[in-house]
Amino acid sequence: MDKKRTLPTNISRRAFSSIFKKPATQKYPFVKASLADGFRGKQVFDIEKCISCGLCSRDCPANAIEMFEVEGKKRPLFHLDRCVFCYQCADSCPKNAIQPTSIFELACVDKSTLIMKPVPIAPAVKTPA
Amino acid sequence: MSKRNNVDIISVIESKVKSDIIVQPGQLGTAEIVTSNGSYRDVIKAMAEADEKTAISAISGLDLGQNLGLLYHFRTSNAFITVRAEVPKENPKIATIVDLIPGATFHELEVADLFGVVFEGNNLSGHFVLPENWPENVYPLRKDVKANEVKLNPTKNEAKSVEDNKVVKIIIGPQHPALLEPEKFAISVEGEIVTKVEPRIGYVHRGIEKASETRSYVQDVYLIERICGICNAIHGANFVEAVEKILKTDVPPRAKYLRTITLELNRLHSHLLTLGHACLEIGYDTMFQYFWRDREPIMDLIELTSGNRVYSSIMTIGGVRRDLKETDIPKIKSTLADLRTKIPFYKHTYETNASIKLRMKNVGVLSREDALKLSVVGPVARGSGVDIDVRKDEPYEAYGEIPFKEIIYTEGDTWARMNVRMDEVEESIKIIEYALDHLPSGPYRVKAPRIVPAGEAVNRVEAPRGELFVYVKSNGTANPERVKVRTPTYANIPAFLKTAIGENLADVPPNFVSLDPCFSCTDR
Repeated sequence: MDKKRTLPTNISRRAFSSIFKKPATQKYPFVKASLADGFRGKQVFDIEKCISCGLCSRDCPANAIEMFEVEGKKRPLFHLDRCVFCYQCADSCPKNAIQPTSIFELACVDKSTLIMKPVPIAPAVKTPA
Repeated sequence: MSKRNNVDIISVIESKVKSDIIVQPGQLGTAEIVTSNGSYRDVIKAMAEADEKTAISAISGLDLGQNLGLLYHFRTSNAFITVRAEVPKENPKIATIVDLIPGATFHELEVADLFGVVFEGNNLSGHFVLPENWPENVYPLRKDVKANEVKLNPTKNEAKSVEDNKVVKIIIGPQHPALLEPEKFAISVEGEIVTKVEPRIGYVHRGIEKASETRSYVQDVYLIERICGICNAIHGANFVEAVEKILKTDVPPRAKYLRTITLELNRLHSHLLTLGHACLEIGYDTMFQYFWRDREPIMDLIELTSGNRVYSSIMTIGGVRRDLKETDIPKIKSTLADLRTKIPFYKHTYETNASIKLRMKNVGVLSREDALKLSVVGPVARGSGVDIDVRKDEPYEAYGEIPFKEIIYTEGDTWARMNVRMDEVEESIKIIEYALDHLPSGPYRVKAPRIVPAGEAVNRVEAPRGELFVYVKSNGTANPERVKVRTPTYANIPAFLKTAIGENLADVPPNFVSLDPCFSCTDR
């Protein structure tokens, strides 16, 4: 090549100076990742608001919501192992019974732990008469 | 190069083709042309002769009961034309159009594979999308085939390599030859020089087109988004736009701007990914890490605006699913400003670095004539001096109101294709900033009905990799009757087959990566 070698471009200078800079990576899991507001993590289901309409189950694109009978009423049971976290269920719910959280650490050894059963409504605490 | 020639393609067709055609303006693009008795070839010939930019976008197959329908979708400099033809299901034979439009080869192969149409005169045969052990005479997209009842034949071993006197056939793939996606190329080499490339795709074919027929429109938005992880937002946007065309829904202006912002964030991270990936392929890992480091803040912005760093899932029929918070705008702007300060360094490196120049300049040169002939799209076409960009040609969302430059390079080599993307990064930043400054107020979605009236629509958008096409047919129920997606990489494979020939085997990976191939898209 007749042209002058252009090898020491400023990239070598940059690469060298990076040694003295803070790393671009995060030391997860020792440093917890900071998530944006409105992150779509594991949903929480509030059985008291649920009216058993089944819209969440019908609209779920991953078929991850099964209507499960709890105390005589059909309630959504979430198969989080199939869930794609699109939150269409939360959008479809007419009563806002499905709420977002930013829980994303769902890795597990046993997939059955990812089944989120609807918890029956806690019996109201009887107040002594 | 004039941006648009003013050929009125429809009157040209009407004057040249005398009989047997019905022109229906405004349907399926600029116009739909219904043909019979084989006059589709005359129509296509008339179009190809009248306008050098006539290129095929896709061929959609349809199961119409007794007959199989074929929709040939063409783009010209100023129009989008659909040509309709039909063949009987009993004897589905039709003459090829490869001699008129060479880029149609793989589009015909796909329809042959999935619908069993025989294209007489197309020399390529065998499975292209379906696996080799697929049973004979079972065509999955016909309505009488149930996806879960197909019984595959026992797997046959594929040939590993074939050798005759001088030519050695090297099989690259399907285990991730150049990128982390499966595809196979049987490459014949004489010494170091490539003489022939035979592609084979379909290793991650998931049958999304078939699956979408059994799900509702609401579910299909998420399903179709999952055609591709990198450019997911654009797939969703393309589908909802097509459905909105059938529904005749007017999307509020704010939603259009919010969609534009999401789509451009998507393009930004996709282009940065490829720019970095190309450096990895030529063994320039430092630059690769730098690009990917700077891509990460963009992913954070996608998370900020949509709730997830990869799948934004923000598109919905009638608008977007969440509004942009006023308080997030400064954060987006400062991140983009940060990225902008880094672009001169990238550009300088791409222009002056010895390794990049040696491995990318004059590698895989695709001439303008070949680019037009092979119907390539996106940065590949723009790197060869073909000025096509759906954002300019047929503005959708807010692109008609936002000023931006169309990037054209004329060299046609790997380096030019990468530099198109580099300059588009800067344009994308400008588009987002303009959209944020001019964000209209008002609602961000309108309620759309769940039942879509009978009808059909085509839509196309500019994905990071080029023109993305969708055809949706509705039969008046909650599920679509047929969804056909033609992804940009599918249209760009012929470019690789052309440019690899006559070059070194070692240049195959960088040349191939310069198309920004995505096989998850291609296979669907």
